Order: sequence, then structure tokens, then C-alpha cells
Amino acid sequence: MNSPATGARRLPLDYDLTLDCIHCGLCLNSCPTYRESGRESEGPRGRIHLMRALGEGRLEPDTDCVQALDSCLVCRNCETVCPAGVQFGALMESARNQLPAPGLVPRFLRWLGFRVVLPNRRVLALLAGVVRLAQTLHLPRLMAPLLGSRGATLASMPVFPPADQRRSLPSISPSTSESLETVTMLEGCIQRQLFGTVNRATAQTLNALGADVLTPADHACCGALHAHNGDLEEARQLAQETIQAFEAIDGSAPLPIVVNSAGCGAHMSEYPRLFADDPDWLARANAFSERVTDFSKFVAQPDRARRLQAQFKAGPERKLAWDDPCHLCHGQEISAEPRNLLDLIPAAKRVELASSQSCCGSAGIHALLHPEESNALLDAKIEEFQASGAELLVTANPGCQMHWQAGFQRANLKVQTQHLAETIADSLGRESPGGSPTSSPTKS
Amino acid sequence: MTEAWINELRNIVGPRNVITGSDSLAWESDGFSLVRGQGIAIVLPLDTSETVRVMQLLAKEGVPLVPRGAGTGLTGGASPVQGGVTVGTARMRRIFGIDPIERTAHVQAGVVNSDLSLAAKPHGLFYAPDPSSQAACTLGGNVANNSGGPHCFMHGATTRHVRGLKLVDAQGEILDLLTSHADPAGLDLVGLISGSEGMFGVVTEINFRLEVLPEEIQTIIAVFSSLDAACDCVSEAIAAHIEASAIEILDKLTITAVEDSVFAAGYPRGAEAVLLVEAEGGALEVQETIDLVLQLAKKHEAIETRRASDGAERARLWAGRKGAFGAMGRVAPDLYVADVVAPRTRLREIVHLAVEIAAERNLRLGNVFHAGDGNLHPNIAYDRRDEDEVRRVLEAGRLIMEACIERGGSLTGEHGVGLEKMTHMCDLFDDDDLSVMHRVRDALDPKRRMNPTKVLPLRACREVRNAGLPLSPMASPEGKL
Repeated sequence: MNSPATGARRLPLDYDLTLDCIHCGLCLNSCPTYRESGRESEGPRGRIHLMRALGEGRLEPDTDCVQALDSCLVCRNCETVCPAGVQFGALMESARNQLPAPGLVPRFLRWLGFRVVLPNRRVLALLAGVVRLAQTLHLPRLMAPLLGSRGATLASMPVFPPADQRRSLPSISPSTSESLETVTMLEGCIQRQLFGTVNRATAQTLNALGADVLTPADHACCGALHAHNGDLEEARQLAQETIQAFEAIDGSAPLPIVVNSAGCGAHMSEYPRLFADDPDWLARANAFSERVTDFSKFVAQPDRARRLQAQFKAGPERKLAWDDPCHLCHGQEISAEPRNLLDLIPAAKRVELASSQSCCGSAGIHALLHPEESNALLDAKIEEFQASGAELLVTANPGCQMHWQAGFQRANLKVQTQHLAETIADSLGRESPGGSPTSSPTKS
Repeated sequence: MTEAWINELRNIVGPRNVITGSDSLAWESDGFSLVRGQGIAIVLPLDTSETVRVMQLLAKEGVPLVPRGAGTGLTGGASPVQGGVTVGTARMRRIFGIDPIERTAHVQAGVVNSDLSLAAKPHGLFYAPDPSSQAACTLGGNVANNSGGPHCFMHGATTRHVRGLKLVDAQGEILDLLTSHADPAGLDLVGLISGSEGMFGVVTEINFRLEVLPEEIQTIIAVFSSLDAACDCVSEAIAAHIEASAIEILDKLTITAVEDSVFAAGYPRGAEAVLLVEAEGGALEVQETIDLVLQLAKKHEAIETRRASDGAERARLWAGRKGAFGAMGRVAPDLYVADVVAPRTRLREIVHLAVEIAAERNLRLGNVFHAGDGNLHPNIAYDRRDEDEVRRVLEAGRLIMEACIERGGSLTGEHGVGLEKMTHMCDLFDDDDLSVMHRVRDALDPKRRMNPTKVLPLRACREVRNAGLPLSPMASPEGKL
């Protein structure tokens, strides 16, 4: 059975996962890259077909094939509509693990980012400081023209906030009302450096509903970006470090792990699949992933939501729109909770965007590697956002937040982008209100 | 030589929209994965004028070609087994306009079926034909195959909804039949082109008739302890001139697959058969229809009947039904979706036979079908890597088809003939009939470059019958032809 037709090497990707697809094509229209290009090789079914052929040795992983797989956002929208239950995200990760990265520059950037910067808390903090300094001196804008097409990416790079916003949370943030429970919380890598305000707003919200919040002192990165891009070795290493870090701060009983970044949460709740061949770590990963809970899901639990609602303050009405992070709505099947929470806020008037569950183009490092395609996806969404009359865009993932901010800036729109936790914290009376840093760094 | 006209194609549609590399493997088959082929290139024009230039070039070079929408067809009709070029409409996604007064829509051929109903909804209108693949399949593909769907029981299949269209023929000439009038003047060429499975050219634009959203819709499911009882219930409802809009049956294996999937609809697990009936129209007539169904369900000893409580539940019931094919992917890696028509009074007999034929060959069969139209879809789950299983699947498919034809049915209800059923055309027509079809084809495409090797058998029926199973040589695991 399944003898290869050509002499090509069979790629040891997770071949069995490709067999779940029966080629019905119901996924096609859910795929942002297929809709944009009309190319079946850039739709889920076509990509699975190519992966199956790679696994059968019918196909060489040459440039064209690699590009078709590489252009995937891994937004997992196709999983939401797949009747056969294909685990597309897992399949793509295993395929990418076997494929050569296209081109030298992306390969170098990936090595630098994945192996040097993200896994090391201090290197990342140092880099953030350096970028912050450069941005204060307007260096990126001055350098952009020298870099050709990549310069545009540099110029629209997110603005790193001042040092006081980049500091970590204390190891314990005590409840601000009657103390009812203890939880742990993931600060993340990018989130901590770029959106420290989001982490503070998350802790403040949890504190307000009666939770003491613990954070591990020396945790760097959960490894989600690594896995999505096929660096499964480093992903495994980071998963082990993450599990250890959280096990270390547990009290007598394991505590819930609240995650405010959709990409991290989706990945952490799927840790077990990284350890299929390692029974000891598999057991630990299973126990760990069961504790992972998204911020919105945790807070929307009726008792907690009620406690929170009682503390909401009235304010001037704000029209806002919720944009589902893909790894929340498709990766974790959470879409009602954030909407319900926003609807509890007295000052918030929520409008629904038809495209809210379609990828904004951020997609991990996709926006860095494929800026044009990525911006095209966002521009269509910005158009819909503008037509809706909303003045605030709420989401729940650092990549999405960054991408929307850059998009609004590119379109010269004075629109705020917030994490759900910030919107909630604002209505609780956050001390330093306002969205994440869209303003020029020189003013702060 | 080839390189020169490929470059010319790139000039016409842009380099990114001509695919010639290893990634073109993604187009090697459509929803009928047993048949695969590799052509020279895939071309994705943006509109009619690009299509004209592409087709003129291909005519000049004498290249055979196959038109393709989203590639969700189930008979191999859009597979590039002829070699040459695949002309895809996937980038032609514009809805030019909806005329709420005339109740028509002017669209490009690559518009996805469900997107049209979505766009029509604000005007209180919808597009009626709703194939199960409607979330992905293109309207151009629907026209080519005269696609059906559950609600075609009331509204009729695609041809009844095509007012006019624009065809780019094999020579690259535009045949502009884009009228929005109900009745064609002169010969009904629109009728000729609808359902022609890509043999006459590439349809690039269509004018569709839209329907008014009904005042009232009600959906009920009735659960039966046997497939026989469900079939009998439908046959009797048909005899009683029931005015439902859709009548569907799902069997046990299908119910289980659906309930395991993201489209879990709340069909009772373990039930032998579920009957899904919808009625639409004025509140009073809908009530009458539903009452009739309830009465017949009771007579045929339904275990349970339930009414969808709201629009959300109705949507769930239908999403489950429409995801049924795909959900069968949970049973095995591949699915053979048969598409045959049985006289509606003999549903029970044919379904019985299909079950027997599959059981004798140790095959896993799921039945989900448009019972109201007598349009059966015996779905056989298999693994294409198992050559013997493939042989048994095709044999079962052939026997079921022959049984239907013998009893006054037909070999296709809505999926078209394509490659899968080409030789079976001889079971339904004789050489004289087929030669008329060939003459019509030759009038529009004298060189037979449009989707050759499909629909009409090229040899006389006597030879075709002696040649045995048409698909066995193509069914090797590598898909080599």
C-alpha cells in the first residue's frame, strides 16, 4: 500500500493526520489566503493534499511547494468548518518542522528570534530597551528608506513603551476585594515587553473579582511561535521550562493558569501533543494543559462576571468592535465569552463585524515575513471597521493588537486598539487609562 | 514552444495567476479523488476579458482545457485528466449587482453559492439551489453541473434559476446571453449551456433569478427505528402531493459521523434513520404541510418527532445535513459519493438494494439523500490505498447505478456525469442519441478541446460495454493514468 510513485524522499511529517481529509472542499472559502489568491494550493484542502503527497514521496519539497505551505496563516479557521475534523494546525506544524525555510533572510531572522531572543528573558528585555531608545531617536523612520521594501515593515514597527511599562508584574498581585481564590498568570514574552499595560490590566481585573494573582519569576516564553513555525525542538524545550515554572509556584494544589494571549493559550492547552513519545512529560503536559484557561473564559464564569459587573463604573458611551483572535475562536472555540463581557460594560456599545472571525493577517510572524499579503487582509477588515462607526477595536492577542495598531496608523486613523482586559480595566477605573501605545514615543 | 505560450498567459493574467510548479498538484483532482491528472498549467483569469484572451491563445495553440470552479464536484468533471490547461474561475468573485425589483442577480462565475444568498438577504431575497457544498462551490460550477440541493425539491435545480449567461467559447468568442428576461427569444441556448459540464466553453457571468424569503419556515425531524419506515413515509408523502420545500433522510452511520463532527446537529445517536422535512410559505399552508408529515410519521411508527424551535436550531439541522459528506471522513480516508435517481415510489427497494450490495462486498455504506426527489447518495467510505477495496467500491457504485436505471431511474441526480459516469451514458442512451449530443458538441467546439474525455463516450456503446469498468485503470494509488 501507498508505494511512492517517484523516487522523492518521504517527509516524516504526521502523515496519518492527512488521511482525515476526504477532499470535500468545505474549508476553501473559510481560508483567507485562498479567498485572496484563488489558488487551491493556498487553501486548506490543497495544502493538505500537498502534505499528503510529501508524506507519500510523490512530491519534492521545492520552492513552489514550500511557498504554498509557508503562506498559510495557521489561523485554523478551516478547523472550525471541517466536518471531518482534520487537525490542520498540528499537521502544518509537523510539516513545517520538516521543510526548509525559504530564503536566507527569513531563516536568519527565525534563528535570531526563536533561538536567541524569545527564549531568553534578559536578551528580549535588552533588545526592547535598545529598540525603545532607537525609536525615541526616530532611527527606524530615518533608516527605512535605506532598506527598500523591508523598510516599510521597519517604519510601521510597533512602538515599544517606556521602561516602567515593560517591567514585570510582582510575583504576587493581591486581590483588591475579599480574597476568594488564587490563580497564576502568564505574562508572555512579547506581551510583557510591548503590552505591559495589558498584563497590568489583566491582573487588576482578576484582583477586582477577588483573585490573588501569582506569576513565575523567571519565565520567558511558552514557545507558541516556535511551534507554529515548525521549530518543534525549541518548542518542546520551552514547553518544559513553562511547565516547570508554573509547577514551581503552585501551592498545595495546582492553580488555574490564566492566559491573556490567545496564541499562547491555544498552544499551551495543546502541549500534550509535543510529548507524544515521552510518557513522563506527557503526563505533566496533560495536567498542565487542563489548568490553562483563557482570560475571557475565566472571567465570564457567571459568579465572577457578576462580581465584576457590580464594580463597573458608568462613563461616556463608546462604540466598540470585537475582533476574534483566530487562536481564540478557532483554536480554543471561545467566541461568546468576550462578547458577553463587553456587553456587561455600561459605557460600551458593541457592534458586530461580519469578518470578525477571519484572520487580520498578523498570524504570528506572518506579518513580518509577508507584509503585503498580510496588510491586504487587514485593509479589508479596516474598511469594514470604519463603516461600522466604531471608535475602539478590542481584541485579545499581542500579535493582532500590534497588527491592528500598525494598520490604523498606516490608514491615518485615530482609532484605539485595546486588549479586552484593558477595556474591562478602564471601566473599573484603571489608573492610567487609554489604549496601548499608538502615540509617539517622544511624548511619553 | 510551450514555454512561449505559458509566458503569454502570464502576460495576460499576471505571473502569480499561472501555476506550473509542483504546487499545481493541488489541482490534480476535484471532489472525486479517485481520478487525478496533471496538466501543463492552471490559469486564473479575473474577468470575461482576460478569459477571452486566455481562450484565444489556447485556441491558437490547440491546447485542450478544463474549466474549474472550486473543484468540489464529485464526478471528476473538473480534473485535468486531459492534460493541457485548467481555466479556473476562483478569482472571479464579483457580484455586479442585485436588482431587488426584478429579483435578479448579476454575478461572476466564481462567486461562492452561499455568498449570493448572503448578499441577497438584505433585500428580502435568496438564491434557492443549495448544494451541500454551497459554502465553497462556485455558481459557475453549479451552472455547469445543473447542481441541486435539498431545497430543489420545491425550487428546482440550477437551470431553473439561470436567466442568462455569458460564455467564452473554445475559440475565445463571447456568446452574450446575459438577459434577465424569463423567456428566451429564439433557441434556448442558455438552457443548452446549463448543465453542459464545461463542454461548450467557460461561463464567466450569470444572471440568476432570486426568490422572496418566505414568511414562514418550519423544520421538523422524525426519528425512525428503520430506514425502511423512513423511506415508506416519504413515498406516501409524495403520493399525498406534499408541498414541502425539502425532504431528506440520513441513516445511522451518517448520523454518527455528523454528531461526532463540528456540525453536530442534535440528531439522536443510535437512531436507524432521521427524516428531515422543511416547509416554507404562508403560515397556514406551512402548518398544513407539517401536520401532514406528523400524521404520516406517526402512521409509520416514528419514535420521536421534533420541531426546530428557532432559526438557530433550524440552521444547525441543515448545517449537519450539509456537512454529512465531509463528516464521513471520520469513517475512512476517502468517500465515494454515489448520485443516482430512483422512482420515488420505490425508495425503500433501492435503498435496501444499496445496503445489500455494500454488505456483500464488505463495504461501509452511509445513506444520506434527497428523499423527496428520489435522489439517492449511497456514500461508501474507503481507503484509496487499498486497491481491492477501490475495486469493490466501484463495482458497488456501478451495480447501484444499474439497478436504478433498470427501475426507471437515472444515473445522476445533480452531480453530473463527468468521468465517473461517462460510460454509463450507454445504459441510458443508445448510439443514435449520443451521436446527436456529439453533433451539438461539435457545433460549439469542433476540435473537441473543451473538457475532452468526459461526459460523452467517444466510442460506440457496444465497445464501451465490453471495455468493463471505466475507472479501474485510473484507480492506482498513485493516481497515474
